[in-house]
Amino acid sequence: MDTSQYLEIFIDETKEHLQSLSDHFMVLEKEPDNADTINEIFRSAHTLKGMAGTMGFVNMQNLTHKMEDVFSVIRDGNMKVTPDLVDLLFRGLDALEAYQDNIINTSSEGDETNDDIVNALISMKEGKPVEDAPKSESAPKAEEHKAEDAAPAASGGDNAAKKYLDISFADFEKNAIKEADEQNKNVYGITVYIQENCLLKAARAFLVFKELEVLGEVVKSVPTVQDIEDEKFDLDFSVILITDAPEKEVVAAIKTVSEIDKVAIGKLNVSEIVDGGAKAEADTKQEGAQESKSEESAKPAAAAAKKAKEDKKAPAKTSSKPVVNRSVRVDIEKLDDLMNQVSELIIAKNGLVSVSESETASTDSQSFTEQIEYLERITTTLHESIMKVRMVPIESVVNRFPRMIRDLSKKLDKPMELYMSGEDTELDRTVIDEIGDPLMHLLRNSADHGIESVERRQELGKPEQGSIYLNASQVGNNVVIEVKDDGGGIDVEKVRAKAIERGTITEEQAEAMEDKDIIDLLFLPSFSTAEKITDVSGRGVGLDVVRSKIEGLGGDIEVRSKKDEGSVFTIRLPLTLAIIQALMIELGEEKYAIPLNSIETIEDVAVSDIKYVKSKEVIHLRGTVIPLVRLYDLLDFPPREETEDNITVVIVSKGDKQAGLVVDNLIGQQEIVIKPLGKYINIEKIISGATILGDGEVALILDANALV
Amino acid sequence: MAEIDINGEVIESTQYIVVKIDDEQYGIDIQYVDNIVRMQRITRVPKAQPYFEGVINLRGEVIPVMSMRKKFGLADDVETNKTRIIIVKTEAQALVGIRVDEVREVVTLYDNVIEKRSYDKNKEEANDYLLGVGKNGEELISLLNINAVIAEDI
Repeated sequence: MDTSQYLEIFIDETKEHLQSLSDHFMVLEKEPDNADTINEIFRSAHTLKGMAGTMGFVNMQNLTHKMEDVFSVIRDGNMKVTPDLVDLLFRGLDALEAYQDNIINTSSEGDETNDDIVNALISMKEGKPVEDAPKSESAPKAEEHKAEDAAPAASGGDNAAKKYLDISFADFEKNAIKEADEQNKNVYGITVYIQENCLLKAARAFLVFKELEVLGEVVKSVPTVQDIEDEKFDLDFSVILITDAPEKEVVAAIKTVSEIDKVAIGKLNVSEIVDGGAKAEADTKQEGAQESKSEESAKPAAAAAKKAKEDKKAPAKTSSKPVVNRSVRVDIEKLDDLMNQVSELIIAKNGLVSVSESETASTDSQSFTEQIEYLERITTTLHESIMKVRMVPIESVVNRFPRMIRDLSKKLDKPMELYMSGEDTELDRTVIDEIGDPLMHLLRNSADHGIESVERRQELGKPEQGSIYLNASQVGNNVVIEVKDDGGGIDVEKVRAKAIERGTITEEQAEAMEDKDIIDLLFLPSFSTAEKITDVSGRGVGLDVVRSKIEGLGGDIEVRSKKDEGSVFTIRLPLTLAIIQALMIELGEEKYAIPLNSIETIEDVAVSDIKYVKSKEVIHLRGTVIPLVRLYDLLDFPPREETEDNITVVIVSKGDKQAGLVVDNLIGQQEIVIKPLGKYINIEKIISGATILGDGEVALILDANALV
Repeated sequence: MAEIDINGEVIESTQYIVVKIDDEQYGIDIQYVDNIVRMQRITRVPKAQPYFEGVINLRGEVIPVMSMRKKFGLADDVETNKTRIIIVKTEAQALVGIRVDEVREVVTLYDNVIEKRSYDKNKEEANDYLLGVGKNGEELISLLNINAVIAEDI
């Protein structure tokens, strides 16, 4: 079988299952008796095995098979989960990930058989059977039943596969069935299983219905026909068919549709249905139970396992709720193209806007303006939709961290726990791809240098177990990610001493600097790359890299720390990169854009209200002292005399710092497309890019963060 | 590149766009020229290198423009009807505009009429921009090493 077309789907699903295994192993480590978890692991391992087998990845299949074996023993209560076992399982997981990486890179799993892990698993399974282990009672019975069905050697005619038995009927349906029975017609319950890798489930189901309607009348289907058409079903659906045709013919008709995995069929006991039995009992003879496997046994079993898993999520209800998110995979490049075109459209739209504004009032101008506004609304929504398409939950990056902290905890011999929140916060795809490393770096820092040794924590009266928090949330147009620990914090004095020793700052400077500024020194490249300074209460290795990466994404990072209480690193990232809302301002003859998300307020300030602190201009605004930045001078305009009595000040902020930018005129708010300035031209940090205005003119974008 | 055969000898040739900057004529290898546009509004970029006039909008892309006069330390540019911006695509595949006083013509120069640049220690700086000098009839054309002109940072 040519499986290459399924490779992508296989890789995606494998990723999901490996992640699920990793999550559940973590749970298992803490709650070795958690039956739900054990079942989940069993299922994931089983599905993986099936998928790997189908794709011909033998080593992977073998390893997952052994893992599954161990879990089937555990699930039956004949063995207990030990820390050794969990360690072994994690090793197995790493091996599986290695296979996956190989497959991604070379589309072959490689030659590594991981015999040591396989053998260890075998001896685990055989060597330590524990008698009298507590039965996993908490697992719902029905679920176990189905899970057993999922086992590779699932007996062909097991009732669990016949979901149609669970169908309940309304009165008119009962009447129809009764009538049919009186006419000596056959009433069949049929459950059709579609192959797991089928891409057009709804289409297949539709074809099945078409075939069945030729043979007779479909009185009922679960889920409903509408839901099936909308693909709101998993891999199976059940129908009740009234027909003259014999069972064989029905099965044959269904099987003419491709990508059907198997068909479970049986005659319904009409009297029982009609007599008001809520549940239709099976035709006990089971004579007609037919099962045909179009592929190797692993496939249907895998499908059943998956089905069982879904069942648990939405217990008993096979009704309208979509079980699986409907999605389309799209190459990121196509999205980028689309994004570029939307950018062009916005530029063109801005062009129209500026034409309409410059046009002298004609009779048409009213409706013209209306149309322009309409266009403006559409382009804005279009842009938002496209941005949303590019958004990915941060979960895909952070879900590997609990495992990392667990490993670090073992390696460093310090008990610690990672608490995460806001994993569903979404960020632009391009940001997601870049943010993983910096976050990992910060977490490692916290684990390695932040959290103190157990003895030290006891001395301080802290709980023995260190806590690290990773919180993500959306604040306005930004996403804020916090990495927090309750460890030793940054020893400012040590950093100060080190900075003086290394000549980064002089002693006098050090005296004058506030703690906060001292901590900021840690982000300097010279401070971290030269030699290891882990002795300085830890922090410092590679923080400059973290910062430059985050600033490269248009974000910023701040750190707060208190000795013996812990540190908080706060990362602020823009939601989108390409198109932003900006305030257009005028300086002399030139126009500049200031990103709206960094603007706090706009103030009209009397020149006489300007005060001086250390011979620098400041203003007093609602209790805060805000330094003024004269953009006119900063941007090298020819000197001029100030004549106005009042100045317009745009207050921008970065974190809790503020600055007032003095501008000549405000033009208004506009959606702008960020363009790079091109190679060869050197630009200072205060200019973050350029944009093309409606009239084709280029305006520069000021980076408020660099001005604060 | 074209080739001619004179007395069995193969001589390579290159096409140059001849531009006028101040009183001199310069040749720019046509393979690096992407486009020639009329003078248009240039947005000043504060704190960039002094010889960069700023950026322009070329069909939706923002492109930096440098002044050859400023680069060569000549008298300031005067905008006339003949002023042009030559859009050059460098070997690094980046677009840069070069402001010149006038674009004259396209000439084909054979290697035998080009005097390769000689290393002159005293004039090293100026020579870095030049590949050599070509003779087109009676006229002399200084052939620009355009990648060096653009990439070099003073």
